[in-house]
Amino acid sequence: MMNKRTPLQSVILYTLVLALVIFCVFPFLQILSTSLKHPIDWGNPSLIPRILHLDAYKELLGLMPAKEIDVPASIQRLLDNPALSAEKKQMLLAKFSSGGDVFPFGRYMLNTFVISFITGICSTFLASLAAYAIARLRFPAQSLMANGVLFVYMVGGVLLMVPLYQMSVNVGLASSAGGTIFSLFLIYLIQTLPVAMYMLGNYFRTIPFSLEEAAMMDGCSRVEAFWRIIMPLSKPMLFTVFIYCFVIAWNEYLFASVFLKQYQDFHTLPLALQTLFTSKNAIWDRIMAASMLTLLPVIICFMLANRHLSGGLTDGGVKG
Amino acid sequence: MSSVILRNVNKSYGNLPIVKNLNLDVKDGEFVVLVGPSGCGKSTTLRMVAGLEDITQGDIQIGNKTINDLPPHKRNIAMVFQNYALYPHMSVRENIVFGLKKSGADADTIKNKLADVSEMLKLNEYLDRKPADLSGGQRQRVAMGRALARDADVYLFDEPLSNLDAKLRHHMRTEIARIQHQYNMTAIYVTHDQIEAMTLGDRVVVMRDGIVEQVGTPMDIYLQPTNTFVATFIGSPAMNLIEAKIEGEELVFDNYRLPATKIANVDMHSLRAHDSVLVGIRPDFFEDSTLSSPSDNLFEFNNIEVNLVENLGFDKEILFKLGGEDAKARLDLRSHVKRQEHISLSVDLNRVLLFDTSTQGMLLNAGEV
Amino acid sequence: MSSVLIKNESRLGLKLVAPAVGIIGLLVIYPILFNLYLSFFDVQLNGNKTFVGLDNYTQLLGNPRYYHSVGVSVIYLIGTVIGTTVLGLAAAILMNQTFRFRNLARGLILLPYFAPVISVVFGWQFIFDPVNGIYNHVVVDVLNLTNERENLIGNPDSALFVVILFDIWKHFPIAYLLFLAKLQSVPKDLYEAAAIDGQNPWGRFWHVTLPELKFVIATVVLLRVIWNLNRFEDVYLLAPNVETLPIFTYYQAFAGIVDQGAAAAISVIQLLVLVGLIWLYVRKVLKW
Repeated sequence: MMNKRTPLQSVILYTLVLALVIFCVFPFLQILSTSLKHPIDWGNPSLIPRILHLDAYKELLGLMPAKEIDVPASIQRLLDNPALSAEKKQMLLAKFSSGGDVFPFGRYMLNTFVISFITGICSTFLASLAAYAIARLRFPAQSLMANGVLFVYMVGGVLLMVPLYQMSVNVGLASSAGGTIFSLFLIYLIQTLPVAMYMLGNYFRTIPFSLEEAAMMDGCSRVEAFWRIIMPLSKPMLFTVFIYCFVIAWNEYLFASVFLKQYQDFHTLPLALQTLFTSKNAIWDRIMAASMLTLLPVIICFMLANRHLSGGLTDGGVKG
Repeated sequence: MSSVILRNVNKSYGNLPIVKNLNLDVKDGEFVVLVGPSGCGKSTTLRMVAGLEDITQGDIQIGNKTINDLPPHKRNIAMVFQNYALYPHMSVRENIVFGLKKSGADADTIKNKLADVSEMLKLNEYLDRKPADLSGGQRQRVAMGRALARDADVYLFDEPLSNLDAKLRHHMRTEIARIQHQYNMTAIYVTHDQIEAMTLGDRVVVMRDGIVEQVGTPMDIYLQPTNTFVATFIGSPAMNLIEAKIEGEELVFDNYRLPATKIANVDMHSLRAHDSVLVGIRPDFFEDSTLSSPSDNLFEFNNIEVNLVENLGFDKEILFKLGGEDAKARLDLRSHVKRQEHISLSVDLNRVLLFDTSTQGMLLNAGEV
Repeated sequence: MSSVLIKNESRLGLKLVAPAVGIIGLLVIYPILFNLYLSFFDVQLNGNKTFVGLDNYTQLLGNPRYYHSVGVSVIYLIGTVIGTTVLGLAAAILMNQTFRFRNLARGLILLPYFAPVISVVFGWQFIFDPVNGIYNHVVVDVLNLTNERENLIGNPDSALFVVILFDIWKHFPIAYLLFLAKLQSVPKDLYEAAAIDGQNPWGRFWHVTLPELKFVIATVVLLRVIWNLNRFEDVYLLAPNVETLPIFTYYQAFAGIVDQGAAAAISVIQLLVLVGLIWLYVRKVLKW
């Protein structure tokens, strides 16, 4: 038996744990606190806002009542002119209302969600096929592929940004919004495929071979054994890998910035937040609220997948 | 049900031979047990029949059809695995009917089979549980049930009882024997446990290093082992083997002179060609001389010093020296020998076997070679 | 011969890997080669190329900014690798003790790793903000260490250290997870045997824990070097003025006077270093 701790040891232990947890959590608390603070309160070092100030969230989520539009008198006279068509009037008005201050957070979130979701699904699916083959089937170049995955997994995106950009320019994908988004999707696919293959491959290796053999004895072909036994059995791990890929795509900044710069409507959250921060509208409460809202889905995913994630990551060699 | 025929079957991994030129006929409805120490190729042979390993050379036929190139799922074989291989995400019920459903059986057949099997294996109350919620013995029964529910041509068993404790193993052994007779199924059963082999098999195949050492009924193998390996592998405790000099018509070791002429089936002519011979006596064939009824063919080892007595209840095993080697005898409870006593043991010479010292093969009389 | 079964299996295997391998081949392997090709050209953003031979390389090797960024990368690597390893190990040892709320604590310390970089960098910038940040408040107003509020992130030299601290904060959890997994697999009787042999806790750590962790430590160090050599977002988003190699490459390729050929050349050199490290990892660490 290990010795029981003395009171002093307990105090030291709890102090260290507390210090570590505070170190990890403090920046999050800072973000949350600032997002809820009124501008006059920013200089206040306390984490608790003097007044709870939810405007930043309301604004980002489009819950603010539409502002009274300040229209110069000359324009107002134009608008009052009955000769002008209703359409023209709308356009004129729009010019004033969209004057820089609006940040379509919902739209960016949707963009990010869509591309991350599709990336997660495609990557998990393709990776499960390949990982199964590499983990379980004998075929030529199998070990080369198993090692190749490891290698590819470690070649970071930075090294590929020039050739990938040039490739998409050369095939003409970079010249349209659709093509750009497709390029970005493909890039997210390769950023997630190797890690997904690695995690799933290691997981499949832990499933006893005899399960597939039993399925084959029960009349399943190899493919049926995979679909009807291995895949249903791996659901929790597949979900974990999906979440992992989803989060990688959700967090990605580098390629989004290279490819989407000129297509503002299709910006993803990381790109949008960076633009928000560097724009003249940089207001701490808004940035922090936007940070919180970007963080939230990731935290939810994390809580959903936590049970399997830690194990999967350590088995999988670990990216990060 | 179908017969299974293996013709000149070879299996090697690279240059490493695992199974060497194996020939075996399993008749329709026959229960054949492959037995041998680990690494002898018995499981590999079974897996080749199943199609889980490819055949390096030779042919395997099921029901007179060569199935070498047939993928496992088309061979109509049911198999019970050593680790049971139950589908962890399915209930017991789903596990049992999975193969039936796959083969396209109709709902009534599935229902009846499930009822049959769960009745026979006493699985009724567990049908809705997941394998993780079952004990080892229950899992084993589900694995059996999954195979039995199938209407397969051949049933394969890969050490199905080796993960059970002794008591449960004995119980399931009896169950398997009962079920096999009831269904009259063609079965190939792999085990390293010679008791399972003896009790279950219509015929037993003893293997070593990828080679079949002997095929025969359990009693053939027990009474007429073809060589010292089979002789010592089958039977517990193992057969005593004592090297004896041949002097005229007598086999000599220690102070004992066994009359060779009285040993069954021995051809004196061929025996004279040897200087020495291995005398094989099963521990079971010794008797306490004070209890044995006098007979013409009895040989008495007198002045044996008992080194150890192990009481097993009905039996007791005693340890002593014979020909300079440790030897064992199994006596029944009527005998009251004690440690360090000097006793006499007698043996029916008809039960004594002789083996060639160099080839380790059994010495038979000329007529039987 | 029954090669039919083997043939079927390998055909299925190839079919299943084909899509993933195809995509990886097209979008990783080909680009690596294409990158090598581009490094011999003057490349414009719109795709126009002129062959310049080894010019990109000679210019690069004569560019003090390149050596500066190599230096920054080296400091960054040393700081982050030591920091994440030490903190990860300490956290693993701490979290391997039994105490109340341990599961909660274990979950919380993973948060930095999973949080998107973009959603935490602003929090960090706020902490070090010269006007509102808590750092300046503590250093200047509470501890009175200096009189002037400093813009730590604004100055590239001090920003490097903020970036290193940020990286340690963000990535020590992964080292922690690897260490914890190993610690949990150390058999308890080893500690008990050491305790019976009269080892105090420090001796038990030194003679039992560390030898068990040797390989994991090597894994963590090497993986940290490999990942951090390529690290872009954490540095760029927190402090774009800290010019590690990836940031320098990015500026060459997409900002100011665009020189994608030069960027390609930097990537080629960096890839060679990386391949060496990965080789080391596969040969020396994975084989253990």
